[in-house]
Amino acid sequence: MIIYKPICVGCGRCHPFCPVGAIHFEELKSVVDQEVCYECGNCLRVAVCPVDAIAESPHVYDYPRALRKYFSDPNATHAVTGIQGRGTEESKTNDVTLRCGPGQVGIGIEVGRPTLGMGLVDIQKITRALAENGITEIEENNPIHSMIQDPATGDLKPELLNEKVLSAIIEIQVNRDRLADVLKTLKAVSTRLDSVFTLDVYTLLEPGLTIPREVLDIIEAEGFAWRPNAKINLGLGRVSE
Amino acid sequence: MTHSLHREGSPESLERDYAVFIYPARGYNYKGCAPKVRRLVEIVYQVGPANMIATTLRQNLYSGVSPEAVLDSIREGVRVFSVFNSREKIKQLLALFKEADQGISIVVSGLIDRVREIASEVGLNPHTLNVSLGIHGNTDRLPPGEVRQFTTMCGHGMVSPHLVRDIIRKVKTHKTDTWEGSLTLAKPCTCGIYNPYRSQALLEEMTPIYTVDRW
Repeated sequence: MIIYKPICVGCGRCHPFCPVGAIHFEELKSVVDQEVCYECGNCLRVAVCPVDAIAESPHVYDYPRALRKYFSDPNATHAVTGIQGRGTEESKTNDVTLRCGPGQVGIGIEVGRPTLGMGLVDIQKITRALAENGITEIEENNPIHSMIQDPATGDLKPELLNEKVLSAIIEIQVNRDRLADVLKTLKAVSTRLDSVFTLDVYTLLEPGLTIPREVLDIIEAEGFAWRPNAKINLGLGRVSE
Repeated sequence: MTHSLHREGSPESLERDYAVFIYPARGYNYKGCAPKVRRLVEIVYQVGPANMIATTLRQNLYSGVSPEAVLDSIREGVRVFSVFNSREKIKQLLALFKEADQGISIVVSGLIDRVREIASEVGLNPHTLNVSLGIHGNTDRLPPGEVRQFTTMCGHGMVSPHLVRDIIRKVKTHKTDTWEGSLTLAKPCTCGIYNPYRSQALLEEMTPIYTVDRW
């Protein structure tokens, strides 16, 4: 994002809306720090500028900087997936897609959340750690998949490593007996990250919204705790195509 | 949108916060889904959401967009996100969704125990659970938990911690009130699940204990 200096009146109204604090004063005018900006477009979208001085940077779609926009702007359509957002439908439509079936678990590793952002090098630290432990089942329809140069090592394409995005999701699906390996790996790599990640697991339910004991036992055994709130697919969907 | 399961706060606060997603599945029930989604959105309006958005317009409940404009915008593949602020409302909504039986995936994000109770009461058999295992990594860099109660209400992380502090300061210095401040906080949320009622309650609770660095 950019702010046209001759137009800006220096009111500062846009400053608090930036999720990462990229806007600051310089000679009584507001300026976007291009290194810090994630191109999420929030400052423009909320329309608080009284003189319309905020605009999209002319270089926002240059590769690889364009990744900032694709992963950080919730209204941007990703060039790789052709859909809005950084992930797939995951558990949200599992009642009709059955992507995650009996005996399986889906795992979402959302790097950079909540509202911290991250360098893509943090993604590589995680994909490498997973690959070292033989976990290479990264969801093909997630944009992260196309950023990996070598699935065997988890290396990202080298030109991406200096880029940063507000958040990105590594999606994995494994059989339940491998959940412990994934959690162990994530626990170990978490100490080497510059940023943070939120972690989630999804699974089919047993009758009466009963969480499979096997899944909970693995989560507890690996030293993780689950939050009291969750996302629950109510099973009202049907295939009609 | 993955992030609704990571909403932070005390169980007492989360009792008044249920995000609901209407989600056609690409390749499974996209074709011909528009009238079905429209019927479900009519039910959402009938029950009365705390906030909502349709992906066709990306304008939340407080943007001035009319229900007619939202309903008219619904086309194939649209997804609708909303949030409700009481157990009674979410129960009423799910009972009506069940009765309407439109065959579109419905997801509720909220306290597991409450959703379990409500599902049992209205006769639903939930299919899949997506549970949060918390935040990991360099967590020292995060804003404090009480600020994250606000920021995690946006599914895309568009509500800035700086804005939360700014609104607390403005409420504290009587430049805005807790409701107007909550609507300002809801403004950047393009997923429509920022709950201004819960936000208002949080502001009322937090403002007295915060100090401000400038008046």
